[in-house]
Amino acid sequence: MSAAAGHALGLRGLTKRYGDFIAVNDVSLEIGQGEFVTLLGPSGSGKTTILMAIAGFVAPSEGAVLLDGRDITPLPPEKRNFGMVFQGYALFPHMTVAENVAFPLRVRGMSKADRDAKVRAALDLVQLAQFAGRLPKQLSGGQQQRVALARALVFDPSLLLLDEPLSALDKKLRAELQEELKALHRRVGRTFINVTHDQEEALSMSDRIAILNHGRLVQAGAPGELYERPRTRFVADFLGKSNFLEGTVRQPAPGGFMLEAGASRLAVAHGQGAALPPGTRSLLSLRPEKIALLAEGETAENQVEGRILSWSYLGAGFALRIATPDLGELRAVLPAWKSPVAPAEDLPVRLGWSADAAVPVEEDAA
Amino acid sequence: MDGIYSPGAASRSLAWATAFYLVLPILIVVPVALTDQRYLSLPQDGISFRHFATVLSSPEWLGSIWQSFTIAVAATILSVTAGTLCAIGCWRISRRATELVRVMMLLPLIIPSIVYAIGLYRYFGPLGLLDRFLGVVIAHGVTGIPYVVITVSTALAAFDPRLEQAARGMGASLSQTLRWVILPRIAPGIFSGAIFAFIHSWDELVMVLFIASRDVFTLPRRIWDGINENLDPAMAAVAVLLILFTLLLLLADRALRRRNEG
Repeated sequence: MSAAAGHALGLRGLTKRYGDFIAVNDVSLEIGQGEFVTLLGPSGSGKTTILMAIAGFVAPSEGAVLLDGRDITPLPPEKRNFGMVFQGYALFPHMTVAENVAFPLRVRGMSKADRDAKVRAALDLVQLAQFAGRLPKQLSGGQQQRVALARALVFDPSLLLLDEPLSALDKKLRAELQEELKALHRRVGRTFINVTHDQEEALSMSDRIAILNHGRLVQAGAPGELYERPRTRFVADFLGKSNFLEGTVRQPAPGGFMLEAGASRLAVAHGQGAALPPGTRSLLSLRPEKIALLAEGETAENQVEGRILSWSYLGAGFALRIATPDLGELRAVLPAWKSPVAPAEDLPVRLGWSADAAVPVEEDAA
Repeated sequence: MDGIYSPGAASRSLAWATAFYLVLPILIVVPVALTDQRYLSLPQDGISFRHFATVLSSPEWLGSIWQSFTIAVAATILSVTAGTLCAIGCWRISRRATELVRVMMLLPLIIPSIVYAIGLYRYFGPLGLLDRFLGVVIAHGVTGIPYVVITVSTALAAFDPRLEQAARGMGASLSQTLRWVILPRIAPGIFSGAIFAFIHSWDELVMVLFIASRDVFTLPRRIWDGINENLDPAMAAVAVLLILFTLLLLLADRALRRRNEG
């Protein structure tokens, strides 16, 4: 547990242009010592370009990269001392596992004896000591991934950069390695910066997530904070699934208002200080799992009637599409074992949710 | 692919005829080399190895073989060094200009060697390189570059550029990356190029006719003179030895490739 080994990284107004195309647009982000931060976004959002700029493979058009407050923007990658796990791992195919892991030590001119000790420790860390003599192609995908991790950590790098580290693995293995990676982060106490397009991976592993879209940083925060309080429609939609309710603000009060949508009036308790001016249009994000099917006589702060359009059974739950007169089509996910009704197409149902279930979000700038 | 369309009798016999046509001139020297006569001919009363014995005991033939061999080795070193560096440089920079460089490097392959030889003759004279070991090495080495550029470029096309990024990201300098990551990966390509460059120098005649006369007397040159002056079957024996040696090199190349793919 050496939290002191972690370093802080700062991005100041980072911008990268390729001709007319702006891949990264004025991104500023502070990553604290020992933090596990994930850059999350769809493909083309600029997340990989940012990682490559941190690593030194991409020279920013504007802005700076700071390590512990020191500007490292002009440093070439080989002078930065960052560990990196590449997409597809980029293991050297002509070297054994041990030689791969020893590579960063060898370029630093470390003696063979010191090298061997460090390589053994690094392979122990990822539980691959017995594979030291094998070639990468003789290992499974998950094992190769762990070799890449050992190689990236063996030289005590200031930071560990991970470029879609799990994308080449199948789903089950991915879930396993997510946990492993998180545990590894705890053990080594270093700053990890991860890039992915997989929201589940981001939510499960990160201390903090930075969501990117069209080269811009849309929102950064702890996973729970982003999930519960998405700032924009894009964030609500990309991180998990969401229904969007549109209407007019009535009876504003600090921390809440009534939303008028057609004939429906919905209570909204967003708990955020300033009151919205009455009469403005507002967009709410409502997570499917926060909608309940109401049984006979049951009530909720917000109630809406509708008809089931379609349903599917997911084992743990039902996923429903419900048509409502005022709010359009809503998606709901409910636990299958305590559903008050057996879903069927065209079945009339009553939906309910609490006032604090929906949160106002902004439309994204185009 | 297997056996959906089996070739018809016509195309099968055409294929065999073509293969036979390609190999026949090479095969014909084998019985000629084994002739029991004193002139170039097919064996009449039985086969004899005496022409091989003549070649292997004649100081002229052995001298030429040795000279050809040392020239080919030196020329190969020159071709491999220059060709590999050129291919790696073009690959790393990879702009439109480098495409031009690559085409330039292939010129010795495209230009008829007799044209090239005339040019060499013109400017080797003032430089004092005519009929010199160094002169022939330079001529063969430079004209061998295209083979190395082609094979090394092919090997580099299959090289994952992320390996280079990974090496640099872990702190490797350019020369460390080159020695420990890039060169080991493209070694089979370099080796193939070396074999072709060697064969190119080993059996090159036209340039040698122009730029060498008495002191440098390579093996192809001695065969050429032998055919012009007398019809000694020893030449056929030399030819057989040449074919065997070349075949050995090509088999080595194949074996190496197979080991790398497997």
